[in-house]
Amino acid sequence: MRIYRISLAVITLVMLLGLVLPADTTAATTSGSSKKLIYDQADLLTPQEEQTLSQLASNYAPQHQTDFIIYTSNNPEGRDVQLMTEDLYDRKAFGYNQPYGNAVILTMDMYNREVYLAGFGTAEHTLNNSKLDKIRSKITPDLAAGNYEAAFTKYIQLSNEYMNYKLGTTPDNLLFKLWFQFLIAVVIGGIIVWIMAARSGGVVTVDRSTYEDSNVSGVLDSYDNYTHTTVTKHKIEKSSSSGGGGGTSSGGHSHSGSRGSF
Amino acid sequence: MPVIDYKCPNCGSSMMFDSATGALSCPSCGRQDNIEQLPDPLKKQVFTENEVQQYHCPSCGADIMTEPETSATTCSFCGSAVVLGDRLIGDLAPDLVIPFSISKAQAEEAFRKWCRNGLLTPAGFMSADRIKSITGIYVPFWLYELHNMVEVYANATRVRSYTQGDYQYTETRHFDVYRKLRLDYVNLPLDASEKMNDELMDKLEPFPYEQLKEFKTPYLAGYIAEKYNYDDEQLVPRAKEKTQSYIDSSVSQSLSGYSSVSYRDKQVNTTVRRTDYALLPVWIVNYDFGQKNYMFAMNGQTGKVVGKPPLSKGKITAWFAGITAVSLLGMKVLAWALGGDFL
Repeated sequence: MRIYRISLAVITLVMLLGLVLPADTTAATTSGSSKKLIYDQADLLTPQEEQTLSQLASNYAPQHQTDFIIYTSNNPEGRDVQLMTEDLYDRKAFGYNQPYGNAVILTMDMYNREVYLAGFGTAEHTLNNSKLDKIRSKITPDLAAGNYEAAFTKYIQLSNEYMNYKLGTTPDNLLFKLWFQFLIAVVIGGIIVWIMAARSGGVVTVDRSTYEDSNVSGVLDSYDNYTHTTVTKHKIEKSSSSGGGGGTSSGGHSHSGSRGSF
Repeated sequence: MPVIDYKCPNCGSSMMFDSATGALSCPSCGRQDNIEQLPDPLKKQVFTENEVQQYHCPSCGADIMTEPETSATTCSFCGSAVVLGDRLIGDLAPDLVIPFSISKAQAEEAFRKWCRNGLLTPAGFMSADRIKSITGIYVPFWLYELHNMVEVYANATRVRSYTQGDYQYTETRHFDVYRKLRLDYVNLPLDASEKMNDELMDKLEPFPYEQLKEFKTPYLAGYIAEKYNYDDEQLVPRAKEKTQSYIDSSVSQSLSGYSSVSYRDKQVNTTVRRTDYALLPVWIVNYDFGQKNYMFAMNGQTGKVVGKPPLSKGKITAWFAGITAVSLLGMKVLAWALGGDFL
């Protein structure tokens, strides 16, 4: 009995592993070091920093076959930061191994002091609006303080990391906290053992049908009179994430997005 | 002479009820008498219903030591099966009996098997080598036939939700509902013995009623039988309490389909149509473990065992730790599947 349960648990585990394993085995092969990934028109970075960031971005690129783009602009015309981002994607046709492929873009609008994060291609889903919001809120303090290199490094690292997480989860989710996992496990263990102990003395195995004389028992008379109807209504809250939330470029490319000032 | 015994007409030995054949059988010469065709000696004798102080074994003449509620036992000196006739007549005459179908040896084997399957019981208990006694007892039960007329008035609602434009609408339709139910319960058993734990006896159910037989004293030969401590009037409140949950569940089933039901009025009119005094077969197992006595009861027909076994702290801890570890591993795998780190 006991061995049977344990083996069942092991089989379940092996099946779960089997489902998961193929996901992350795609090996990084191509390197896109020659590709231009950083468009520092506002000159926020030294050539040295630019070199380092570019190297970092191209190192991470193969893992999710995604380009990590940094675009800074003084934006003298005062254009909208989201439009700038969309137009850049339309114009440059980013994408790791194909035009208009997977790309994550960080746009700095130094005129309005606004930042926009966008995910194109598969990144639209693997980095949805709420994940981009999280990344943006984590880098905003550095942006505000002028630590651009640190902020951009974090942006590339976090974007790459968050793309690993499925079903909209982020590392901040309780599911990934050891204490929470432990708590759930203890609760499951406690409930099951409690049920086992409670059942050890035998359980009642009769119910109402055991003694009911079904030949005569039943509903003799009934009525269901409708009296009135009440209706309540409430306005559906539009789920508005703080920093915007993606859209579609004039070139027809939809994307996820997060917008904010710094 | 209020004491009845069953002498084999062939050899004169004391005959016993045989759970395998359902006949009164002689252990010496193998004679088998069909009980249903046997004249019951109880019917032939005339007793005065006075409280007899002392009973004597008809075989050896020794005093029979009994408790006041015992109506059948075996002589502690010669082992003859004896039935105390004056405790089975008049108001105390049982109507029905379900004979044992599980013998003492089978009961012991079934109990051992049950012990081995205990997941949380200590290892020393599982070996089941400390059985102090296994006693076959005919426990007195009242079998009730209860007729219930149930009338329920309630306010019920059906809720529907839909979206239109920017608004979420919740539409609640209100109904005035009425239900009249007839709920008859037959052969609802309630143990009438003071000694027996009610909860334990409730868990022993169900008893196979197709085995119900007209009462005859030879069924008791070789077993202990008790007479009731509570009469059928005294147990009516417990009978109603027992059917309460059955009635509630029938009523709520008749009102299924509503999102919410709040009762305005609920009337249950119960009539006790009939009560039968029945003796039902129970094996009582006394078990010594760790200087404590544990009592278990087994349904003498189905072999179902009930009773609180000792629980091993070590095993509880081990199971808890094991299940917790497997759950934690499961959580880890889930976290990993969602893209997190495994450790």
